Amino acid sequence: MPASAANNRPEDLTARLGVGAGAAQGEALLKALREVKNQIIGNKTKKLLYLHLGAVPKIVSVLAAAAASSSSNSGGISRGGDAAVIVQAAAAIGSFACGVEDGVRAVLDAGAVPHLTSILSHHDEKVVDAGARSLKMIFQSELAPKYDVLQEKNLNFILSLLDSDNENVTELAASIIAHSCETNEQQKALCDAGVLLRFVSLLGGSSNQKDGCLESIEAVIKNNPEVSSRFSCTGNGKALNALANLIQDRYPHTRLLACKCLIAVGHASPCYVEELQIKTKLVLVLVELLEEPGRVGNEAPFSLKTLIADDEELHKQALSVNAIEKLCSILQMSSVQARRLQGILLALAELCSKLEKCRCQLMSPQVLNLIVDALKHDCMDVRVAACDCIRNITRSLKNLSAGCLSSEAFIVRLVQLSHDPSTSVQIAALGALCNIVINCATRKSVLIKCGGVSQLVQLSKSMDSALRSKSVLALRNLMFLADITDKEFILKELTLCTLASLIYDSECSIQEQALALTSDLVDGCSQSVKHVFAEDSIILDAVMRQLQNASSIGVCIQGMFVLSNIAAGSESDKDTVMNYLVPPHTDSCIPSFTIKFLQSKDILLRVASLWCFVNLTDPASVGSSRRVARLQDAGIVLQLKSMLNDPCLDCKLRVRMILEQCMELETAQA
Amino acid sequence: MPVRVVESSTPSQDSGRESRTGRPPPPSCSLLSAGRAFSGTQNVSSLQKDEAWKVNVRIQGIDLDNGYLCGTMEALNVPLADTPVVTFWEGELVDGNNFTFFTRKWEATPEDDIRHWSKFPSFAPLLSQVEADGGKNMDLSNYPYIFMRWKEQYFVNVGIDCGLTIAGFYYVCFSCSDGSINGFYYDPNSSPFQKLELKCIPGGCSGYTFSSYQLL
Repeated sequence: MPASAANNRPEDLTARLGVGAGAAQGEALLKALREVKNQIIGNKTKKLLYLHLGAVPKIVSVLAAAAASSSSNSGGISRGGDAAVIVQAAAAIGSFACGVEDGVRAVLDAGAVPHLTSILSHHDEKVVDAGARSLKMIFQSELAPKYDVLQEKNLNFILSLLDSDNENVTELAASIIAHSCETNEQQKALCDAGVLLRFVSLLGGSSNQKDGCLESIEAVIKNNPEVSSRFSCTGNGKALNALANLIQDRYPHTRLLACKCLIAVGHASPCYVEELQIKTKLVLVLVELLEEPGRVGNEAPFSLKTLIADDEELHKQALSVNAIEKLCSILQMSSVQARRLQGILLALAELCSKLEKCRCQLMSPQVLNLIVDALKHDCMDVRVAACDCIRNITRSLKNLSAGCLSSEAFIVRLVQLSHDPSTSVQIAALGALCNIVINCATRKSVLIKCGGVSQLVQLSKSMDSALRSKSVLALRNLMFLADITDKEFILKELTLCTLASLIYDSECSIQEQALALTSDLVDGCSQSVKHVFAEDSIILDAVMRQLQNASSIGVCIQGMFVLSNIAAGSESDKDTVMNYLVPPHTDSCIPSFTIKFLQSKDILLRVASLWCFVNLTDPASVGSSRRVARLQDAGIVLQLKSMLNDPCLDCKLRVRMILEQCMELETAQA
Repeated sequence: MPVRVVESSTPSQDSGRESRTGRPPPPSCSLLSAGRAFSGTQNVSSLQKDEAWKVNVRIQGIDLDNGYLCGTMEALNVPLADTPVVTFWEGELVDGNNFTFFTRKWEATPEDDIRHWSKFPSFAPLLSQVEADGGKNMDLSNYPYIFMRWKEQYFVNVGIDCGLTIAGFYYVCFSCSDGSINGFYYDPNSSPFQKLELKCIPGGCSGYTFSSYQLL
């Protein structure tokens, strides 16, 4: 009927909601509420339309009025009517809060939570159910308010919910805990109040209740060794046994949540989940869950990644149950959701972080193309995950040397991502570029041609130290064994001034990378060495200052390798290094670092320093005799003699090499 | 370095990797590091004629914890090839931890192993213990020689139909003193004991230079 259809228009229905003039009363109000609720369930467009029409505050007003009336009335008919209105209003509010962030915001802004909370103590079980369900939907959103359980009244409120016989109410308590528990103190307070015991006792309930409890258990024990240990000891391991049984539950979501709890226990207190058997079982369950549709399939790869993180043995287990094949087959499905794609790429990245066998499985062109496609994804997290995946695949020198991932489009894309508006994407892209530019002239030249060097140089001047660090490392790896033309190009873009400022960077790790870059520049018999003397020796001065400051061992090691490489050059290069190490005419003023480095406990620092003296005493150089005499006068030869039995074989052999060269020079002079 | 194909062979897939014992890694020698180049010859003489190919080797990476290293090998005057032939190889460091002197794959029996290792004079002091258990409990961390096996994995710049084979592998002995390398190619289907002799290239005009990279 036309009249009836007009009555169900959202505009008309909204007008009939609420309290006061123009609003429907009694049966008509109930009917309007029910109609709105039915229209919006599972219909995002309708929800947004009603939000726009301002339906939510009106429904919350209805709820508040009905709840107040219900608590003051004692009459049978009115009470029954109020209860029905409350149930419909609460259900409609819950539906607005389900799956639509604007809906949650509107519900919260309209002050629905206190009214919904108040009806939890209603004498009518249907009203309590409706209130609990509605609040549960609200507390599934990140926007919901957090209950600080350190406040006694909040804790008591949650405990009272947890003690209820009504499953919807205990599930609500679990939702609030899962949503609100964030700090170690809160975890401990909840544990002290006995919530974990209560959750374990509820694990035998309905599927929804089990899931709610598992989510809360994870929130309460996560990253808290003390609470996790107490949970593990509950009932002589009863709690852990319950979890171990639930990873085989008939419902995939429950299996996933039980896995997450055991992973959380394993990370917080490893001794309770240390047997490989249980971990192997977890790997198996999670790999099976990868293929589940929806939320379970979306979350399973994240849990798998967390479980196997940094554990080579578990990587092997995952490989043995075809985890990579399954992940790749999902990757090849059409239209994979962003969240799922991110999880799959992160799991693949983890699996490729250590084992060459895993990396080999990803080397098919189809899979690589899909990973490269993910570099272009709209979602930032997917782009980061794709970069991480490529970074770990390219840890394989075998694949890199075979020219894998050398395609121009691929490197160009990574360079483009280093301009990404998101810093996380930039850092991840630089991580992949760092590995890709090693050991392959083709890749180096593609990067240079597509403007990658100037971009890396720009990022090396960033205020963000992570960006600076990664871009300098990428430049260092690019410089490694580059031909002279490429070296000159990189340095022209970088400029001596920027290189010097990087050697002086506030972060030691960046100083170290900048010095290693300088070593790679000066490496080999090339003209590049002239650059360290250019512009009033700006680079050499920077190297020497950092050596004299000796801020970190890594900086000193790289600095000494720079000097050593310079000392492998011409006669005048050697003399310059010599004058820095042992200034002429001032025997007593040997820079303290020269002897100190030779006496260092760090093997590599001793080795780097010794190579410097090997090069300075090269018998084929005409000036070596003169330099040896100065080394003797400065007490360095004596120091070297004291190192003849150095505990490190490499040091011992270099000391012998230097002393033999000194002797050869002395014999030649005699 | 590739040799001419005589007969195809399929290497066994058994792993020669030993279980970890927690022994310290082998000596780290600064001359056996990524980027270091070596140059020399491989003698490929047969009964018919004397022949030696010029060979260049470059270390691409080394991972002492896992007893792994890899690099490229370039053979310069290979008669059947128009250009120098470059192969990529992977190596096992004999450290008594990740790998022992016994190969246990690539068609090499313990007798083949002993016969080849014994060609290196520096192996003599180790012989009796290796005969007993392959050197499983041997501490090589202060030994001035590093023993390795290098196995070529693929051709870098030519196809597999180039008429050359990389079916065999090298027994290698590296001197930590001067970085010189001696090796013997082993392939049951090729001439026995083809000797590889390489010298370390210092890198600089008048001395040793070092370069490095860092994987993330």
